[in-house]
Amino acid sequence: MKTLYHDGDTALHRLSPRVKLIGLAVTSVVLFWLHSPVALGIAAFASIIVFSTLKLKWSEIRRQLRPLVVTLGLVCLFTLAFNGSADALTVFLRLGSLMLLAAAVTATTGIGDFIDEITLAAMPLERLGILRAADVGLAIGLVIRFVPEVVSRYKTIREAHLARGLRPRPLTVAVPLIILTLRSADEIAAAIDARGIRRQK
Amino acid sequence: MSTRDLVLSALFAAIIIALGLLPPIMLGFVPVPITAQSLGVMLAGVVLGARRGTIAVLLVLVVAAIGLPVLSGGRGGLAVFAAPTTGYLIGWVFAALVTGLLSEKLVNRDQMAIAQTVGFFIAAVAGGVIVLYACGISYLAVVTGLGFQKAFFGSMAFIPGDVIKAVVAALAGRAVMVGYPLLPQRA
Repeated sequence: MKTLYHDGDTALHRLSPRVKLIGLAVTSVVLFWLHSPVALGIAAFASIIVFSTLKLKWSEIRRQLRPLVVTLGLVCLFTLAFNGSADALTVFLRLGSLMLLAAAVTATTGIGDFIDEITLAAMPLERLGILRAADVGLAIGLVIRFVPEVVSRYKTIREAHLARGLRPRPLTVAVPLIILTLRSADEIAAAIDARGIRRQK
Repeated sequence: MSTRDLVLSALFAAIIIALGLLPPIMLGFVPVPITAQSLGVMLAGVVLGARRGTIAVLLVLVVAAIGLPVLSGGRGGLAVFAAPTTGYLIGWVFAALVTGLLSEKLVNRDQMAIAQTVGFFIAAVAGGVIVLYACGISYLAVVTGLGFQKAFFGSMAFIPGDVIKAVVAALAGRAVMVGYPLLPQRA
């Protein structure tokens, strides 16, 4: 699993993650407040300029944007067919700019930086006793660590089906996959507690 | 939250992500490809219950937001939260919550097998179809200015696939409960 972060040293890379995230949030509010096609057109142009300062290669741009362009394109076509060209253009410019800016923030902010920001943002919740801020990073790390494990278990179960001449079906694959994966929870939890990572009991 | 619950949620988040890596399948009578990822959301509620299931789904969304392409079709990054279909992603959280709450209410270990399966199916449809589409369609209608009726019309093609997923989730949920019971929540 390759992250969408792209190593580099552009102005956006150097900007603090907090500034980028707050900037993105403010921009999204402004974009939904704007209604004139001209203003939205200018916003879209500005977004393209911001994205182009990243100086990404074409192959990288494709990887970042392709799945999003497909969704946006489909919804715009649907809007065009049912609500006419004015609405479709507004949707295209507004969401297009927002997605481009969001992709720019993702491409220039490392996962560690994001986790730090989330942990900081979770501090007020910790004070309310809802969660422990440090758990967020731990949980994200666990998820990333175990995705390849689950995928390899899936392959094993599939092969076991094929070896017995059975067709792998969603149900007959999902059940052993879930039970096998969740059964390891006790061991992992014990390992975490034994290392004192969460500093409790 | 106990360490075990935290790990269970994280492992389930990994299962949901892995389901998104499988190629989408076409069913004969549904005109759109269906992915297994939203099946994972229903399963989270059915298997883990409301609290841990919701946290599992939240973890998937956080991992996607920080730039890992973990959503079906290799989508990820903050841009997926700026898309017209973002409502469905936000809806996942409430889908897992409602599926989990209803599973805890409707199903217990002393029931007959058929009652358990039906209970899980009702929970999966209420959360993974009704609540999910209510969120997704409202967001789509407001963001694109389409209006509710047209947004509903545009989403209709996906509903049969999701009802089938609810059936799979119900059967799998019961099978997991027999093999490795996690409901009702202990913590």
